[in-house]
Amino acid sequence: MKDIKLMAKIYDHLFPLFKLTGNNIRRHPVINLISILIITISLLLLILYFLGYSNAARLVSAWRTDLRIVVYLDEKIDEERMASLQNYCRELDEVVRFIYISRDQALKNFKVTLGDDANFLEGLPDNPLPASLELFLDEKVVDVEAVERLARQLRRQVGVDEVVYGSSWLRQLFSLLKTVKYFGFLFAAFLSGVTVFVVASTIRLSLFARRETIRVLHLVGATPGFIALPYLFEGVFQGSAASFLALGLAYGGFRYFKGWLQLQVPHWPVVLQLKFFSPLPLLLFLLMGTFLGIAGFLLSTRWIRQD
Amino acid sequence: MIRVSHLNKSYNHPDLILKDISFEVKRGEFVYLVGPSGAGKTTLFRLLFADLKPDSGQVVVDGLDLMQARPARIAKLRRRMGMVFQDYKLIPNYTVFDNVALALEVAGTPRKLIQKAVWQVLKVVGIERQLERLPPQLSGGEQQRVAIARALVNDPQIILADEPTGNLDYEITEEIMNIFKYINSQGATVVMVTHNRALLQRFKRKVFYLDKGSLQTYVWPD
Repeated sequence: MKDIKLMAKIYDHLFPLFKLTGNNIRRHPVINLISILIITISLLLLILYFLGYSNAARLVSAWRTDLRIVVYLDEKIDEERMASLQNYCRELDEVVRFIYISRDQALKNFKVTLGDDANFLEGLPDNPLPASLELFLDEKVVDVEAVERLARQLRRQVGVDEVVYGSSWLRQLFSLLKTVKYFGFLFAAFLSGVTVFVVASTIRLSLFARRETIRVLHLVGATPGFIALPYLFEGVFQGSAASFLALGLAYGGFRYFKGWLQLQVPHWPVVLQLKFFSPLPLLLFLLMGTFLGIAGFLLSTRWIRQD
Repeated sequence: MIRVSHLNKSYNHPDLILKDISFEVKRGEFVYLVGPSGAGKTTLFRLLFADLKPDSGQVVVDGLDLMQARPARIAKLRRRMGMVFQDYKLIPNYTVFDNVALALEVAGTPRKLIQKAVWQVLKVVGIERQLERLPPQLSGGEQQRVAIARALVNDPQIILADEPTGNLDYEITEEIMNIFKYINSQGATVVMVTHNRALLQRFKRKVFYLDKGSLQTYVWPD
């Protein structure tokens, strides 16, 4: 019974606020529509950017599982040193597993690689290829600095002749992804700023259009909170509606693009790896729209105070 | 009920609009605030509900010092006051019902009570049949009744009215004044700003006369 009374009291306090919010939205549809469209465009750009980034990162991550360092061994390495070197590699955090490739195995592999051109190897007096250890790296702990550091570390070991890894393409790949990531945050900050400004401006326009109503509300004893809350709700409404719209458009666009790509390059495995956002980023984008709406409201009320 | 002490207001102009004004209105009194145009009546009226801040002095309404009070306290005080304006101050795109209900909604009155209270007060001012109409669809007299209904619906202890009959003809003025007399007879304190001298003759009450920034008090002989 007590709960029902409390609920009724809350309803009595909230009802006029929702009524005012509804009135604001209904009586200024153009302002609201423009605001929603601008937030939608901003969010859509942001969503598409991060959709591209997340898919690129996923593909790169798949490539990174192939990351390896090849440690060529000294010709004169003895068995004891070889065992100690293998133990050393086993204990490295960055190394998931490694395989030993003997000189004979290396030659066999090389012949397979050469195929029909392998005949010329028959004329060689001796096997020119060194034995090696092939180290597979953990993608979670490896970045370009870690690979280089590891290579330097390995080079210093006794019995190691040379260490080879795809240094230049690796560096480029990582720096590209880093740039994309940081640029993404700058881009997000810029678009968020623009969006907040747009929401604030539309709320301010709405405030200006309703200045007589606000005056009357003051006169009949409405608190500043009572007057401001409908505008907060309006900001939340604009942000949420725009989030749904932007995500819907992005999803539709993504499905269309993926279908189109499958038709153009039917056997390209990359197409199958393209994915839309998982629930968590989806929720974050929805919250982001709402947050932008609230931020716009707060900025507009700052203006009210200045007025 | 209302105590004004040494009030000064200038609007940043060398000549004071109000000079050292002091007066008191007791609970249940009906007083007129009169004076020529530009005498500062509306300024003084607005100071009584903290719509303006004075340069100096004190206004205490129902125990609340308006110069010291926070906005939320002033808002709560206004809910216990009824205000009527010469230009009605109705929201044009709200129905008669919604305009009157607004005064109860801001106070968090339950929905069921709002319907009943609005209906009753509209009946008192004789406009209950216009419930769903918008203010622009009403005559000046009808709009003023709606404004009065909004001022009364909270059952206020104080009514402040600024030229409530200023734009109205003789007959409607009579009806409106009868409503104010009725409210006053129910115990409400009424402060009415007017420049209508005939009104003072017909409805004789204490008069505060404001001219050139100074206030004088007249009491009609019994």
